[in-house]
Amino acid sequence: MASTASAEDRLRRIGFVSNHALAHLDTEDALTELLERVRRVMHADTAVVLLLEPGGGELFAAAARGMDPEVHQGVRVPLGKGFAGRIAAERRPVLLERIDETTVVNQLLWERGLHTLLGVPLLVGGSLIGVLHVGTVRDHSFTEDDIHLLQLAGDRVALSIQAQRAQAARAAATELQRSLLPAKLPAVPTLDIAARYVPGGRSSVAGDWYDVFTLPSGRLGIVMGDVVGHDLPAAVVMGRFRSALRAYALETDDPAEVLTRLDRKALHFEPGMMATVLYGTLDSAFERLHLSSAGHLEPLLAVPGKDPEFVTLQVDPPIGAVHEARRHSTAVELPQGAVCCLYTDGLVERRYRPLDAGLDLLREAVSVQTADRVCAQVMRRLIGDEVPDDDVALLILRRQTVEEIGPLEVAVPAVPESLKEIRATMRRWLSAVAADPEAAGDLLLAVGEACTNVVEHAYGPAGGMVTVLLERRQGDAVVTVRDTGRWRRPRGINRGRGLLLMRKCADDVHVEHGEDGTRVVIRRALGQERGS
Amino acid sequence: MTEAWVETQVLDGRVCIELSGEIDLDNAAAVQEEINAVVGNEVAAVVVDLTRLSYLDSAGLRVLFQLGERMRVLQMELELVVPSRSPVRRVIELSGLSPVARMLFDDPPPPRGWGVP
Repeated sequence: MASTASAEDRLRRIGFVSNHALAHLDTEDALTELLERVRRVMHADTAVVLLLEPGGGELFAAAARGMDPEVHQGVRVPLGKGFAGRIAAERRPVLLERIDETTVVNQLLWERGLHTLLGVPLLVGGSLIGVLHVGTVRDHSFTEDDIHLLQLAGDRVALSIQAQRAQAARAAATELQRSLLPAKLPAVPTLDIAARYVPGGRSSVAGDWYDVFTLPSGRLGIVMGDVVGHDLPAAVVMGRFRSALRAYALETDDPAEVLTRLDRKALHFEPGMMATVLYGTLDSAFERLHLSSAGHLEPLLAVPGKDPEFVTLQVDPPIGAVHEARRHSTAVELPQGAVCCLYTDGLVERRYRPLDAGLDLLREAVSVQTADRVCAQVMRRLIGDEVPDDDVALLILRRQTVEEIGPLEVAVPAVPESLKEIRATMRRWLSAVAADPEAAGDLLLAVGEACTNVVEHAYGPAGGMVTVLLERRQGDAVVTVRDTGRWRRPRGINRGRGLLLMRKCADDVHVEHGEDGTRVVIRRALGQERGS
Repeated sequence: MTEAWVETQVLDGRVCIELSGEIDLDNAAAVQEEINAVVGNEVAAVVVDLTRLSYLDSAGLRVLFQLGERMRVLQMELELVVPSRSPVRRVIELSGLSPVARMLFDDPPPPRGWGVP
């Protein structure tokens, strides 16, 4: 068709075929620049793009040349009404040669003194995304060729808008995903944690997430999840699942129960969405990991002196898959120095090899070393310079060994509510330094009494802090409990038993009342044999 | 908040109180209130089972001492069940509670519902 050739030619001459020049502009600027080119090629005075609202009932002015107020005033046109509304409803070009209140709804058009309007629908893959129209104030009649040309230009504009939208959605999904992953993993004494997240190839993100949080019970919550789907919808659902799981984690320490509640929430509020989730709670001494798997791949456990093995779990159905799924929790011992590796399928699944081959590679890549080194090693062996199709999330937890455990200091408000937190921290440290159970019990009690004294006697109504420093000296634990107040004499009956208990449970108790506070130094052998 | 659970069964004038969780300064007063609420002046004896209690400090001991004192005034008997596997066995041994309560250190502890003929 000769007209097509000449139309293509006209478009090419204004650089409409290649959009390289537009690539660096943001959406609005790019659209305005496109419109300027349309106006020039059409010899028109105005050029306007209206886009369909997400709901689909109205068009809104998105960009304009030659009649800027249209955009600034937020012009809206109902589908089927007036000039643009008619083009959108009928999905065909409309030529209008009489502009007044009987033919258009937007009075800006006749106020502008337009004589002729020509508009075409903006279509992508058969669906309407908006309307493009040009107008002249002169007495000018558009020809059939002009209509054809505008439709061609409209197709380019539509594609360009679509591409920019997809890019924006991807950017939003990536940003959302990033914002939902822990910016910084919690620093948990005696535990070494590291993680990696890599978005999938073709710059698409999926709904992978991981999470690590402390719980009021002294336990640690650990999550690895993967929402089925990709881009913005998956990222949004991932955000909801993540928040819901955290909320349920506060209610119960049983991972199976947390996932049961998450499942119920997902089935009711996000029907049709599915996710695999591995949720674990690490007991307050960090000796045992309680795991529940909702269709997720089994974690890998590397214990010093043994070959790494996948943890055998009862794998229950994914979240959102079936109603009233029975869920199970499995307890796994985490000896000192042990490395636990949690990951999403993107790490091990490749189109070109069976899943087992990927899992074997992972088993070979994991060894007993610092969490960050394990991460680096796993990523090098399983990803290398490859760009995986799917997202990859990897979380490594390692219990530190006795040799690595240094002194630990905890400073908390001197209130009764803090006693539990001090005990949780002490239990972890005592477990980490391999204290004998009886020694651990004695130290918990002696230090508990010293802290209770601070809470009850050190401060006036303004309150203050209690600081507990845990140190190892040869085979002994030396615990220093400090405050910055002045102890008052015990009041009431049945008081003053604490100091007695403290002395009975420790090998040595030393109390220093100073000008700037009180220090209680408690020493107790860590082994079963008491010192002197 | 430190958490403790107080479960009570009354059998033939004996009140059996099973304590679990932890007791420290934070929740001692609350635990004491719960215990006082179930020990009326009609009962003949109180048995406190500490088998499943995982932590008890002097604030918790105070609760037991005060209970023992009150029982003595009411001429009632207080028994404490503390098997050797109980984490609080040691603090009970160190506490000097024996004048106010009868200690049941035997293993295994009596099954639930004991006291029924």
